[in-house]
Amino acid sequence: MLGRIAARLAGAVFVLWAVASVTFCAVRLVPGDPAQAVLGGPGSQASPEALAVVRAEYGFDQPVLVQYFAQLGRLATGDLGQSYALNTAVGPLVLSQLGGTLLLAVLALALAWVFALALATWSTRGGKIASSVGSGLEIVAAALPHFWLATSLIVVFSIWLGVLPPISTDGVAGLVLPVLTLAVPLAGFLGQIMRESLLVALESPFVLSARARGESERGVRWIHALRHASLPAISLSGWAFGSLISGAVVVETIFARPGLGRTLLNAVTLRDVPVVIGVVMIVAVTYILMTLLTDIASRLVDPRLRLI
Amino acid sequence: MPARPAPHSSAPQRTADSGLTKATARRRNPQAFAALVGLVTVGLLAAGCTSTGGNEPVGEPTSGGTLTYASGDAEPSCLDPHVGGNFPQALISAQYLESLVSRNTEGQITPWLAESWTVSDDGLIWEFTLRDDVSFTDGTELNAAAVQANIAHLKDPTTLSSTGYLALGKVTGTEALSPTVVRFTLSEPDSALLESLSQPWLAIESPTALERSQDENCASPVGTGPFIVETWVKQNAVTLVRNDDYVSPPEDAGHTGPAYLDKIIWRFIPDSASRYAAVQSGEVDVIDNAQPDTIVQATQSDSIEHLDSPRPGSSNRIELNSGQVPFNDVRVREAFIRSANVDDAVSSLFHSTATRSFSALSSVESAAVSNAALFDYDPAAARELLDAAGWTETDADGYRVRDGVRLTVMFPVSTNQSIPAEQSVFEQIQATAKETGFDVQLAPMDLSSWYAALASNDYDAVSAPYTKVGPDVLRILYHSDSIVPAPSGYFANLAQVDDPEIDDLLTAASRTSDAAERASLYTDAQNRILEGFYILPLYDQQNHFLLRSDVVGFRTLPTVAVPTFYDAWLNR
Repeated sequence: MLGRIAARLAGAVFVLWAVASVTFCAVRLVPGDPAQAVLGGPGSQASPEALAVVRAEYGFDQPVLVQYFAQLGRLATGDLGQSYALNTAVGPLVLSQLGGTLLLAVLALALAWVFALALATWSTRGGKIASSVGSGLEIVAAALPHFWLATSLIVVFSIWLGVLPPISTDGVAGLVLPVLTLAVPLAGFLGQIMRESLLVALESPFVLSARARGESERGVRWIHALRHASLPAISLSGWAFGSLISGAVVVETIFARPGLGRTLLNAVTLRDVPVVIGVVMIVAVTYILMTLLTDIASRLVDPRLRLI
Repeated sequence: MPARPAPHSSAPQRTADSGLTKATARRRNPQAFAALVGLVTVGLLAAGCTSTGGNEPVGEPTSGGTLTYASGDAEPSCLDPHVGGNFPQALISAQYLESLVSRNTEGQITPWLAESWTVSDDGLIWEFTLRDDVSFTDGTELNAAAVQANIAHLKDPTTLSSTGYLALGKVTGTEALSPTVVRFTLSEPDSALLESLSQPWLAIESPTALERSQDENCASPVGTGPFIVETWVKQNAVTLVRNDDYVSPPEDAGHTGPAYLDKIIWRFIPDSASRYAAVQSGEVDVIDNAQPDTIVQATQSDSIEHLDSPRPGSSNRIELNSGQVPFNDVRVREAFIRSANVDDAVSSLFHSTATRSFSALSSVESAAVSNAALFDYDPAAARELLDAAGWTETDADGYRVRDGVRLTVMFPVSTNQSIPAEQSVFEQIQATAKETGFDVQLAPMDLSSWYAALASNDYDAVSAPYTKVGPDVLRILYHSDSIVPAPSGYFANLAQVDDPEIDDLLTAASRTSDAAERASLYTDAQNRILEGFYILPLYDQQNHFLLRSDVVGFRTLPTVAVPTFYDAWLNR
């Protein structure tokens, strides 16, 4: 058991190191001078004096390898550095944006599960037509691009019906459309997987024996079959959480919501390396935690896994 | 700095003197995105657009209320426009900072914080007399020492100023002659000094506030303006509250005393469709960077009004790189210009929201020279010019060839700076130029790659507008000195115009103190630039606002066309 935990921790550290390194290289490989980024963007007509000040202050005059190890050293001590463009420390900046994005992602994941469960149970019970409709809905939902869905929802609910704000507001109302935008395509994915495994489970011998014991149809579906059917979806939720964070880039931009996605987008454009790395690291950490959680959830749902 | 119209998603802006650009990119395929959003919005929004009754008669202004403004430009990283100095900073800082002088709609410089000024005969000594009744909103008095502190702040390398720093290039020192008189000493005459000083990037801030750390001053700069920065929640909104002690409106303002609005919530909504939906639903009151499709829809709505306020400085134009083949030959440049059907492209893609330009300068500049005859669409003439220039053969694809080399025009396009409609205009120019035999290779790229392409001279045509008050922008864009790259690799003379006669005209214009002579020199210089076929003008730098009909008294400052809410009130 201890060995497993150690292996997992080592794996997590490796992932974080790899993420930091790949991000550092990726941002450095694209053209553009980081000193320019500090001074207001690549087209800056910054004076030589100002450029010199910035280069010395941020260590851009050092060789790239030195900068890389300096960066790793800071990260190892938990220091995410100083943003080039925003004149603030990256740690507090990223953490202040984390809450909004997490809220969005968690609500979207929960809503996607509700949609997917409802669709899967309904479409496996209602015969051929329900099955076709259900699978059709899932495919369409899964294929919807976030930006198209977001704009369509704004048109329908903000412009036509006038019931929900098209941009984020302080209240709950502003959350509805962004959460729907993220939840619907995900529900499509989850629903597809759940429905298929539900169908397999319903054909299984243990369902037959449950029925033979006199278990009600409801009991068969919700207690026995769904337990099996939800396993792949639980595993998928770890991945889904990651995709929700990337979806947040689009959704936060369209709905003008503060959050990690918008922070990341701005930072990439401005070549703000510390912020990019900071956001990516935080996302990687939450992703690792999420995977851990889905592992635990799988074990809770499936007693067979607890033996391993 | 080069200034760009605001793009659909977020707005990168190159501002007046500095080449600063802040931009946010959209996702992987911005064009597809724009097209899809366009389809959705044009189709669905148009159907959903309803009129809400006629305009109410406007009565006496009433005080009070909160106005919400949504900018499509990037959120500034610093609210003090001395730092860096780009257009997003100018947009917001005009609400709380003021400059020494302003400009009226006729293009004349007018008093503001300085009530008068004199210049010595040799043009090297300027003396500004300040108003003696103005205080900054932290209680500090506006006086000569305050102005000195601001000039010193702008010239201090650790301030990291680009736009203001460049504009003060000829100012060598300042001196307080009395509490209200400040003297500027110049290294050489600068006929553009007043125009430079009128820009928001050279606004006067409280010297007490400037002594704070840069982080603090970036978060809450202190000026003399009609509003005060109250809070700034990054990535969300800046809250501005009324300055109840305000006494210094510019001459062309609509009233005196404090502003009418209690408060302004200044938001950032990068997505064009969301921004329009927000003003349509009444969630926000005013938006900037309105795109042609939404402007057309808004004109059909009674509840939304449109304000078109082109930016000063250059027009939006395609610059032809005269420093290398093929455009080092004036006949090939003219052939390209004659082969480009710009009029049809602009009218079909901008839906009459943009007017065709035939000038190097913005139509708001009184010095602008316009010559439509030089830019007629004439493919037959273009073909003859190419024949004469030796591009006589045609390859299998229909492109002209000379000595085995195809007539290729590399055209890097900044997807941050060119709005979707403009990118489509370039595509139509590409299509019409192909009929004459030009192989125009449009290369959409992100901002950093775009600047890198320019810095490595890897372009034959490019569009890069530049915002600055006054015709001195011509010197920045067409003097051969501007071919020399700045330390960043940036250079402003992208047409690489290297003509001693143009240099002489522009230098003389920047040194003369005689207004009539200055105008005549700029006229001569522009004629020579236009007749040299270095540029293909398209339209003014687009700067469109949409506002709820119950917002009254909203206008832009005639300096760099940024909004001012001093006279604005809510008719609700």
